[in-house]
Amino acid sequence: MMDLQEIAKIIGAEIGDANFEVKGMSTLKEANPDEISFVSNSKYIKEITSSRAGAIIVDNSTVAHVPSSAIALVVDAPYWEMATLSKYFAPKIEDETLPEPQIGQGCDISPKAEIARGAVIGDNVKIMAHVYVGANVEIGDNTIIYPSVSIYRDCKIGGECIIHANTVIGSDGFGFATSKMGEHRKIYQNGNVVLEDDVEIGSSTTIDRAAFGTTLIKKGVRIDNLVQIGHNCVIGEYSVIVAQAGISGSTTMGRNVVMGGQSATSGHLQIAPFTTMAARSGVTKSIKESGGTYAGFPLMPHRVWLKLQGKIAKLLQK
Amino acid sequence: MKLSEIAYALNLPFKGKDVEISSMNELDLATVNQLSFCISKKFSKQLQNSQASAFLITTNLIEFLPQNSSYIACEDVSLAMAYATKLFAPQPIDFEAEEAVVGEGCYIDAKATVERGATLGANVTIMAGAYVGSHAIVGDNTILYPNVTIYRDCKIGKDCILHAGVVIGGDGFGFSHTKEGEHIKIYQNGNVVIEDDVEIGANSAIDRAVFNSTIIKKGVKLDNFIHIAHNCEIGEYCIFVAQTGVGGSTKLGRNCVVSGQSAFSDHITVAPFNTFTARSGITKDIKESGGVWSGYPLMPHREWRRLQSKIAKLNS
Repeated sequence: MMDLQEIAKIIGAEIGDANFEVKGMSTLKEANPDEISFVSNSKYIKEITSSRAGAIIVDNSTVAHVPSSAIALVVDAPYWEMATLSKYFAPKIEDETLPEPQIGQGCDISPKAEIARGAVIGDNVKIMAHVYVGANVEIGDNTIIYPSVSIYRDCKIGGECIIHANTVIGSDGFGFATSKMGEHRKIYQNGNVVLEDDVEIGSSTTIDRAAFGTTLIKKGVRIDNLVQIGHNCVIGEYSVIVAQAGISGSTTMGRNVVMGGQSATSGHLQIAPFTTMAARSGVTKSIKESGGTYAGFPLMPHRVWLKLQGKIAKLLQK
Repeated sequence: MKLSEIAYALNLPFKGKDVEISSMNELDLATVNQLSFCISKKFSKQLQNSQASAFLITTNLIEFLPQNSSYIACEDVSLAMAYATKLFAPQPIDFEAEEAVVGEGCYIDAKATVERGATLGANVTIMAGAYVGSHAIVGDNTILYPNVTIYRDCKIGKDCILHAGVVIGGDGFGFSHTKEGEHIKIYQNGNVVIEDDVEIGANSAIDRAVFNSTIIKKGVKLDNFIHIAHNCEIGEYCIFVAQTGVGGSTKLGRNCVVSGQSAFSDHITVAPFNTFTARSGITKDIKESGGVWSGYPLMPHREWRRLQSKIAKLNS
């Protein structure tokens, strides 16, 4: 928690006597009145006017849209200053003031695993050697965690989940602000990852924590080995993601989506339920109709892709 | 090690002075007391100018040897080189090194391992299951998340963040091949050097150099699942998005941006400020800076867009 006055001083914004206790940072859409938000891009003007944030970091071109309920913090580079501030809201990696971990009945936890303070573990959970369970992590009943899995602080794992060796849940999403000189400043990723019940995740997969809010893997999802899921994604119920696929940040999938091996999506897309992507598909646009099967990069309906491959095969024939 | 001992171990004759050899290196980087090798006449110029004290060569290259140098004549230089690297490979752990030096304010989890000979700066965080090898150096304020592995002799700068499961200094992928098709390991006796303010995403791997160093310069940001092969040099402030790979000895200038699932061939050089869209496959040098590229084979992004629209029309 910080004073708004303190924040204004750090980023060099002029706010007169205005002040309140700032509980955190969030996006324009999600921020509460006790939080601050920021405008990274003038295309979000609509979201500024409807934001509930107590204060908004803006530049001269967007300050006019700040609603009367919010205090405007005017700076030259709002995104860069948001990155500067994100560090002040980053929790400690581990916290000694938290209570001893709570462990349910019938658990089998290797003495070589590390369970940080504040963790809450349900009943009959199996945690094998070299697993790391961070501060305030919650793990549901009957979940099995294989060796060397790392779960960063504040993440939640449901019941009946299986997480295979070396998988990393909740490492920092890939977010940076870049100065005119080409230097990068870290945007601290202060959200978390939530796995609902009955999720299975393969070996050496990585699921990044959200910048703000949650990266969400819903009930019954199956994820293979070496899959990358970016920050703030939502993977719908019973979706299947095959090995080496990559889902970029903030992409949302409906239920029962199937992503073939080595397929990938761009960021900020919406994929309709029951969509199937063949191996190596590259999805760069949202898919609005459910039930389709797609292939290729750029993406096209699978039937069209098959026809096209036939034509390409003929190009060298005389 | 004396040159005669190396010749004996390889079961090959040597000619010239029985010089003391400290290590091995490539022709153009070798210095006095190093053993180098020349695998083909193509490199005869580098051989002539090399500062190495001794060479592994085929007899047809004797005329290109620098004056007063010793040599071991072999039929298959790359195979002899592979066997020789084993003679210089250090043990995975140096049990005889001094106790590790740990700076002020460090947090080292009880389940982490810091080997003898390692040096940690001030305020370093090393979490459970992380491993810092013999003679490795970790700079001030750097964070190693759980299960990070730093192999021996590697150097990590200040203010770096290495996420869970990262491996720094695993062996580069290098083998010589016998006529029977077996693969003989080229021991990777170099290291990895990571400069200040570098962040590396979960489960990424940066391989150690065969000789000398794999270098990640200041301010580089790597996402998850990035593979950087041996002897690469990644310029200042480069950004790599997830699941991207770089082949051995490739060099990138500063501020390149590489989108997801892209890959670079080995031994290529890329000018600064180039951008590569997702799934780019870079197989040739890029000499001009500031370009935007796509596709495999690689082409300017505008051309790639045009090509894709032509391909789409094939069906109509």
